[in-house]
Amino acid sequence: MSMSNRSRKKLLDFLQFLVILLAAIIILVPIYWIVSGAFKQQVDIFQLKLLFTPTLDNFKIIFKSPYNLFDKLVNSTLVALSTVMITIPLATLAAYSFSRFRMKAEKVMFVTILATQFVPAVVIVLPFFILFRDIGILDTRLALVLVNLSLIMPFAIWMIKGFIDGIPLDTEEAALVDGSGRIQVVLNVVIPMALPGVITAGIFCFILAWNEFLFALIITTNKAVTLPVGLSLFHAEEGVLWHLISAAGIMIMLPMFVLATLIQKHFVQGMTMGAVR
Amino acid sequence: MRDRYLKYLFVMPAVLVVFTAAIWPLIQSFYMSFREWKLSRSRFSRPLWEYEYDGWENISYLFENYLRAFEDDAMWNAVRVTSTFTVASVVFTIGLALALALLLAPGGRFRFTVRTLLILPFAMSPALIGVSWRFMFQPDFGLFKAFFDVLIPPLADADWLGDPTLALIAVTGSDVWHWTPYLTLVFIGGLANVPRDAQEAAMIDGAPAWMVFRDVTLPSMLPVLAVGVILKTIFSLKMFDQVFMLTNGGPGNATQTLAHFIYFQGFKYYDMGYASAVSYLLVIPMFGLTWLYMRLVFLKK
Repeated sequence: MSMSNRSRKKLLDFLQFLVILLAAIIILVPIYWIVSGAFKQQVDIFQLKLLFTPTLDNFKIIFKSPYNLFDKLVNSTLVALSTVMITIPLATLAAYSFSRFRMKAEKVMFVTILATQFVPAVVIVLPFFILFRDIGILDTRLALVLVNLSLIMPFAIWMIKGFIDGIPLDTEEAALVDGSGRIQVVLNVVIPMALPGVITAGIFCFILAWNEFLFALIITTNKAVTLPVGLSLFHAEEGVLWHLISAAGIMIMLPMFVLATLIQKHFVQGMTMGAVR
Repeated sequence: MRDRYLKYLFVMPAVLVVFTAAIWPLIQSFYMSFREWKLSRSRFSRPLWEYEYDGWENISYLFENYLRAFEDDAMWNAVRVTSTFTVASVVFTIGLALALALLLAPGGRFRFTVRTLLILPFAMSPALIGVSWRFMFQPDFGLFKAFFDVLIPPLADADWLGDPTLALIAVTGSDVWHWTPYLTLVFIGGLANVPRDAQEAAMIDGAPAWMVFRDVTLPSMLPVLAVGVILKTIFSLKMFDQVFMLTNGGPGNATQTLAHFIYFQGFKYYDMGYASAVSYLLVIPMFGLTWLYMRLVFLKK
């Protein structure tokens, strides 16, 4: 053998290193493409050169008329925040019950709730579109929050139940023996202990609601348009305004990168519903 | 209040929300799929079949939306596109994610740094991914053109979004980019549960790495792989956001998925009855997959 085992292993390690590096580059390229586009002037957008004179103008333009991205930013934030604020308390109560009690039809209820996350959004939005049109709340943030609940609730209940399952029963039982009612126990004992988990679930749900596209595309047309739908605004007679789209893209993705990194471990569990630890 | 009642009171609000926000629309769509409703012409829907006018022998009128779907070439095209896309995206995503998970599992600082990057694509709005990929595919100044100019010159002048096959590859590529890092993280989690001693024993016995993988690692990864495959299949079947932003179903209808087809019937042609019927053709396989998924998830408990 011309090559010793040691150097063969070294070569193999190096090849692995190269493949991983390539994967990392592939992950980063589209993100880099958006980030660099956001700081390019419109003339430079058509050039691939790595060195260009960066500009902040794009960020100024997108917040001005006719794009008014600030309105979309407010819509996105309010819709995602309201969805989370409604979902989390209800989900926490339900998750507590699912975690601690046996109930009639418990399994049916639980599985049905979890299964609804797999219903295609386009099916859910058809009847809601007609309902909202009939009661005149199309193109409002309220309407968007209502449909988003269908998307968020199953994830929230699942995640919070997982966290409550992990809280030992002792403290709860001690408080119950001391004569506290169940509601006091939930408020004073369970919720404080589950709080980190509840916040994690809240962040996860916020990301889902923030990135939601199909509901917003159909329900909103003008007043209640969210950031992802707002991406379609940047067309001009000379074509698509990629530098502005990129600047808006940063507004959409950067906050979510921060939030997702905060809850990194649970982010993975959230989608698979704990099927994978 | 006694726990006996309280526990139901706790669940009730959430159940009510899920019922109105998800179950009610499912029932309503089902009902609408048996009615005629061109929203552009009328504010109200009309039954497809009424006993008084049509009599029992014409009860098949009731299924007109469904019958129309089965004769609609565009619907079958969407079924074909969705199937092709689903198979391709599942195969590539699962395969690449498994390979990447195996490469990244050992740990160490470099691998750990790369692992933190894996969270990024999945935190991105799929609509934004679609837009940014369209940006990269621009024929006159796109990134892909520059890339292929250097590496594979024959592909440099390819009109990625103008050619039916290439456009579907582009959509699949953006989806694989979106999901592979996420499933890699899932599989790394699964690899952590592979029994170490069995792996090491096989290594000490002198078994080659690929045999250790085939006989030890893969079998204990199977449950996690199954979860990954079903989850990815469900989400591939629903594919909409990137299609809408990247190709909008084009060129022609070469990349029109079922979700996109339903969207067009419902919100471009305002044919609610037909859109509902086709959406049920999408919901039915989804029920099967969801049932399978739930069995897998709860079997472990």
